[in-house]
Amino acid sequence: MHVIVATDGSRQSLAAAKHLKSFADPTKVTDISVVAVIRPLASVAFADDTSEGKWPSDGSFRDAAQSAVDTIAAVYDGWGPKVHKRIRSGSAANEIIKAAKQYDAGLVVVAAGGRGLSDAVLVGSTAQRVQHYAPCPVLVVRPAPRKKK
Amino acid sequence: MSDTSTADPDLDDEGGLKRSITGKQLFFYTLGDVLGSGIYVLVGLVAAAVGGAFWIAFALGVTVAAITGSAYAELVTKYPQAAGASLYVNKAFGNRALTFLTTVSFLAASMAATGSLATGFSSYFSELWDAPPPLLVSLVFLAVLVVINFIGITESVVINMLMTFVEVSGLIIVMVTGIWFIAQGDADFGVLVDIDTSGTYTNPALAVLAGIAFSFFAMTGFENTANVAEETIEPHKNFPRSLVTGMIVAGVVYVLVSMAAALTVPTDTLADSPAALLEVVKTGILPISTDFMTKLFTIIALIAITNTTLVTVVTQPRILYGMAKEDVVPGVFAKIHPTQRSPWIALFFSGAVVAALLVIGNLVPEVEGTPLVERLALVTVVLLLAIYALVIVCCLKLRGQDEDERTYRANTPLLYLGIVGNLAILGFSIYDDPTSLLWCAALLGVGGVLFLAEYFFGSKGTGSRAPDLDDVKGI
Repeated sequence: MHVIVATDGSRQSLAAAKHLKSFADPTKVTDISVVAVIRPLASVAFADDTSEGKWPSDGSFRDAAQSAVDTIAAVYDGWGPKVHKRIRSGSAANEIIKAAKQYDAGLVVVAAGGRGLSDAVLVGSTAQRVQHYAPCPVLVVRPAPRKKK
Repeated sequence: MSDTSTADPDLDDEGGLKRSITGKQLFFYTLGDVLGSGIYVLVGLVAAAVGGAFWIAFALGVTVAAITGSAYAELVTKYPQAAGASLYVNKAFGNRALTFLTTVSFLAASMAATGSLATGFSSYFSELWDAPPPLLVSLVFLAVLVVINFIGITESVVINMLMTFVEVSGLIIVMVTGIWFIAQGDADFGVLVDIDTSGTYTNPALAVLAGIAFSFFAMTGFENTANVAEETIEPHKNFPRSLVTGMIVAGVVYVLVSMAAALTVPTDTLADSPAALLEVVKTGILPISTDFMTKLFTIIALIAITNTTLVTVVTQPRILYGMAKEDVVPGVFAKIHPTQRSPWIALFFSGAVVAALLVIGNLVPEVEGTPLVERLALVTVVLLLAIYALVIVCCLKLRGQDEDERTYRANTPLLYLGIVGNLAILGFSIYDDPTSLLWCAALLGVGGVLFLAEYFFGSKGTGSRAPDLDDVKGI
């Protein structure tokens, strides 16, 4: 099975990648494609919060995407499946869905949602669109709820 | 069995390094960005300065801008990253102070442009509904764009193209009106060579130069195409072609629109109108209900202004984000919203600065005697002209570096002409309105304050500090 692990550079997407590894059977997964999508018309086309990579003086968003993909791919080092790193460009949800079709994916892993107000107010997120239109099952990894004190 | 793919990503299958902006999209991005800024807002000012022959000012202005565009195209093919002018200055001079000044000037220019466009938006809006005060309309307009950018609707390339089509259609209405008028046989072509020397400027050359300076705001915007350079497919081929063609098309449109406006509407009427192109439609030359055409044209103008303003609103937080990452302004500007993935503090901060500009500008216009839209447009132009001249210098200085056989090479004699052109317009703008320097200084001061805040209170590495990964380990 080919699994797509999407990253938007958020720490939650790193958590999602680790979550897949925590339960999936590496002998059943043949390939993992780590996909980052650069949004050319956004204020920040890609921001990498997953690694300690030095901000390049040229300010390349491609470099930021590359470093996020490298960090996520490193999660699966030595796990078994063949890991591919892919950087795409365009609208995040569309590109993830296209990638899923193109690689004939059996599962798409995405991170979703913050906690609190923004989650309630802002709908139409990437994860929602991927869930609705992906050609295969989708694993949406949400942040753990805050512990009750 | 670990088999992590470490192959060169360039050699990966079609998914490896997929770029998304085509040459055609880049062309429309350039065209939309340039056309929206100004022609709808500034025709009146230019007509007032030059007289009936004000198309000359547009023609000369767009020539200088297109030459500058060719320098941008050469630099972009060498350094495709989004940082634009700041990056080129850094590569050419390697002087941190100069790079910082360039970046802050660009940020200030972008903020002043947003202010001018928001004011222009309110002038047109009053044609539809004149109850709310213009300042309130500008502020609400700005707030809506900031929120739209935060949510991320601005990211659709298709919407950008649609808005550009609408924008061009508005200008086509003006041109068709002009052609219709000529066909009726009433046109007096003498007006097209009439340079008004009875007003402020008694020398025809000076009057034209003034016109270029006032019209130059309409030429700006192309520098923002560096935003998408990194994501352009085959940039070596597409970037120079799309950027320069976009500017030439914009230039032709400007000249034709100016001629149509000059032929159909008395220059005095244009000069007195805050939404001058609307006067062309109001003449009722076209055999369609004037009321309907006026409404339609107003809506088109509003969309055109919105399109360009959106790009400026997207650009400002990007600049602040880059500066925060470089540790020259406080690290909070590099904060990315966890779900929206936008630099929300930088975004709302730039919105607040522009809002302050609008409020201050509305409190003092009587003292200064210059309308706000003109003032802010001039501030943008002064800052951008300095940057444009500097970018051409960088282009010449970086010749021979980082080149390969695919690098686009701009015409060298034209580049020298471009430096002279930019500086001449800059010199006139400052001579004509020294007060604009105060506004420039105030806006640059915002950058200075942020720098000091980072210098004294910021900790080194705030921007690029690694996040605390502990809280994501456990699911």
